[in-house]
Amino acid sequence: MTGFRRVAFILMMGGGASATGRAAAQTPTAAVMANAVVVTVGMTITTLRNLDFGTVIKGVATTVQPTAATAGSWQVTGSANAFVIITFTLPATLTNIQALPGSTMPITFNATAARWTRATNNAAAGTPFNPAVGIVGRLGPPPNPNLYVWIGGTVSPAAAAKPGIYRGNVILSLVYQ
Amino acid sequence: MRRVFAVAAILTLSGAALDAQGVMVAPHAVFIDHRLRGGSVLLYNPGTEPVEVTISTIFGYPVTDSTGAITLRTVDAPDSTLPSSLAWIQAFPRRLTVGPRERQTVRLLGRPPVGLADGEYWLRMVIAAQAGRVPISGVADTTAIQVGLTLEVRTIIGVNYRKGPVTTGLALSQLRAQIVGDSLITRARLERRGNAAFIGTIRQTLMDSAGRVLDSYQSPIGVYITMEPRLVNLISPSRLGRGRYWLRYEVVTEREDLDPTVVLKAPAVRDSVQVVVP
Repeated sequence: MTGFRRVAFILMMGGGASATGRAAAQTPTAAVMANAVVVTVGMTITTLRNLDFGTVIKGVATTVQPTAATAGSWQVTGSANAFVIITFTLPATLTNIQALPGSTMPITFNATAARWTRATNNAAAGTPFNPAVGIVGRLGPPPNPNLYVWIGGTVSPAAAAKPGIYRGNVILSLVYQ
Repeated sequence: MRRVFAVAAILTLSGAALDAQGVMVAPHAVFIDHRLRGGSVLLYNPGTEPVEVTISTIFGYPVTDSTGAITLRTVDAPDSTLPSSLAWIQAFPRRLTVGPRERQTVRLLGRPPVGLADGEYWLRMVIAAQAGRVPISGVADTTAIQVGLTLEVRTIIGVNYRKGPVTTGLALSQLRAQIVGDSLITRARLERRGNAAFIGTIRQTLMDSAGRVLDSYQSPIGVYITMEPRLVNLISPSRLGRGRYWLRYEVVTEREDLDPTVVLKAPAVRDSVQVVVP
């Protein structure tokens, strides 16, 4: 049985089991016939946690480490052992959406502001990398074909920064081969 | 029928999904036959919030840099010397919202120019999903400064359009390997043959001097042009004793994650190299 068919078989069993459960509740003797072939597996990038600086103080830089509970984190699930190219598109400034145009706040990401791990969700054990440069990551082997990514950063509100909500965009890109 | 099965698989897989935002993209590589001129990608939202998705296309292919790291080389305006389908494959819709536990299909339609030569033509499909935003629950204190970041994730997958006879193959050379600490590090030159990308798997087997297998590794790989990927694998057991070992390196056109009917067949290439632990 090839790996592809093995996956197909497992999925068939999973789907079949749940279908059998529903059918059994209605007619205990019912048999569910299944004839399924899985065309392929998918890839999912799930945002586990947002990068959250919360409320910051004027004139005081606030840093969120990639290992912190408030770091942004993602889980990537896909094909076991596959390589993915991880890149970020990062903002240099955040914009106050409640003040007049031009009210901004610097945000920076240092050379170790991002981390990644293979298979296990553990930022402390992750490999640091520069989010401005990116890195090649790799999904875990079966049965954990996952990859995890974290990002921190530093915001530096000026002493004269206007109050309000500052927003920016962080883009995580994963290239599948 | 196949579509139904794919959806069933996705729904089955997503049963254990985390209560977080994301979108599943399936398949993660699309192969379009010139006779059909179309393909599709399924998006599934396993979460409880709608996900806004934007679709775009770019031209690019994986290459390796001087260290062996794999990067995506993109070309904004590919000329006729590059096997690009960027100008004539379109994706529909370009913007969509995938509701909680919903699936939607993005279709790819090829309108190749008349007289297109036989071969394989590439592009990359970018599936961008707004994946969350730091909630700001109002600023009670009007002197406060709050920071909220909008997060977006982009899944970039390959789209290969094939017209007429397509062939692929590989030439393997310059295999080298070393053991550093608990890791086996290998590099080899992979030179693509034929007129289509080589989609396959690198299989490595580490053996002792008596030929006993100590460990084996598999790495899915796509070779679009010549590349020299650097592979790092943890050795189990973590420490090898002093001595001589052999690494068997093989590249085959097999992929466990893709439909076998879309993977072009080609002869396997293989080589071996001795690894010394001083």
